Amino acid sequence: MKKLSLLAAGLIASAGAFAGAADQVTVQDPYVRLAPPNAPATGAFMVIRNAGDKDVKVVKADNPVSRVTELHTHLNEGGVMKMRPVPAIDVKAKGEAVLKPGGLHVMLIDLKAPMKEGDTVPLTLTFDDGSTKKVDAKVVKPTAAPAPMEHKH
Amino acid sequence: MTEVSETLLKIVAALLAVLVAGLALLWHPEPPERPLPRAALPPGGDFTLQSAAGPVSLHDYRGKLVLIYFGYTYCPDICPTSLAATAEGLKLLAPEELARVAMLFVSVDPERDTPARLKEYAEFFHPVIVGATATPAEIDEVARRYGVFHAKQKVDTAGDGYVVDHTSDTYVVAPDGRLVARIAHATPPDQVAAAIRKHLNPT
Repeated sequence: MKKLSLLAAGLIASAGAFAGAADQVTVQDPYVRLAPPNAPATGAFMVIRNAGDKDVKVVKADNPVSRVTELHTHLNEGGVMKMRPVPAIDVKAKGEAVLKPGGLHVMLIDLKAPMKEGDTVPLTLTFDDGSTKKVDAKVVKPTAAPAPMEHKH
Repeated sequence: MTEVSETLLKIVAALLAVLVAGLALLWHPEPPERPLPRAALPPGGDFTLQSAAGPVSLHDYRGKLVLIYFGYTYCPDICPTSLAATAEGLKLLAPEELARVAMLFVSVDPERDTPARLKEYAEFFHPVIVGATATPAEIDEVARRYGVFHAKQKVDTAGDGYVVDHTSDTYVVAPDGRLVARIAHATPPDQVAAAIRKHLNPT
């Protein structure tokens, strides 16, 4: 019985994952860019929207297809694009963060197996209050205009 | 009209002309395709690299317009973004235009990129693209002549612990072998096609 309640407590704790920041956040058009042959890494892109009154931060991302998942951005320094890890992606209250090629993105590093077009990659985003959100990102071929729809407010 | 006011008018006209010339010289809104002023043009020039099909030299393509992109297969985002846009630009060309265009994907990461690996990677974007590389010293030399910046950057979690920062423009070499322009990173396909046509059919 004790064990059972422990299990229940554990379940409740993980259920707690969908309270908090994750509740006020929606994710639009998540996708993973199909990695070209021999490329060991690729990016995931999406628009993260915060309907709440408090700023939230995405502090971590996870996925089962790559060994490492990181949050990255690009700095354009005189035509040289420099990719750098970032500790968090800020999503302002009533605002959004646009993750797109050449900018902020979730990096899937050291892919465990080649992916193919149409596959789905479950991504788990963790917010600064510990809550999490799972999104299913479709694998799409690289195109010239792969940026998710940008909504100007 | 008096002579004095005529002189004044001439002075004003001359000043205006200087202003217009000055503006034309100094005011450059950044176009997606940047024709390089003669003086600022890196020398470019011939080189020989190794592809999966053997040695490949720039002069092999004399008579064709050659696009050159310097990148690497471990490149997580920038290279696929650039190459996808350029490949779609190539697809907008008529077959007779495409027949006069070549493209090289030159790896600035020869330690990890073999010619075989580069071939598969480049052809994934467009069958016209030839992947090639050389020894690190040779790549450094070519990069210098084309004004390409590239530097290893330690990133612990990246494959083998580093990424390579690099210039992400696409270089345009005219059919006579001269470096004539750069196309900025992620230029939309229609503008890529326009840039190619401009240098394919110089007026």
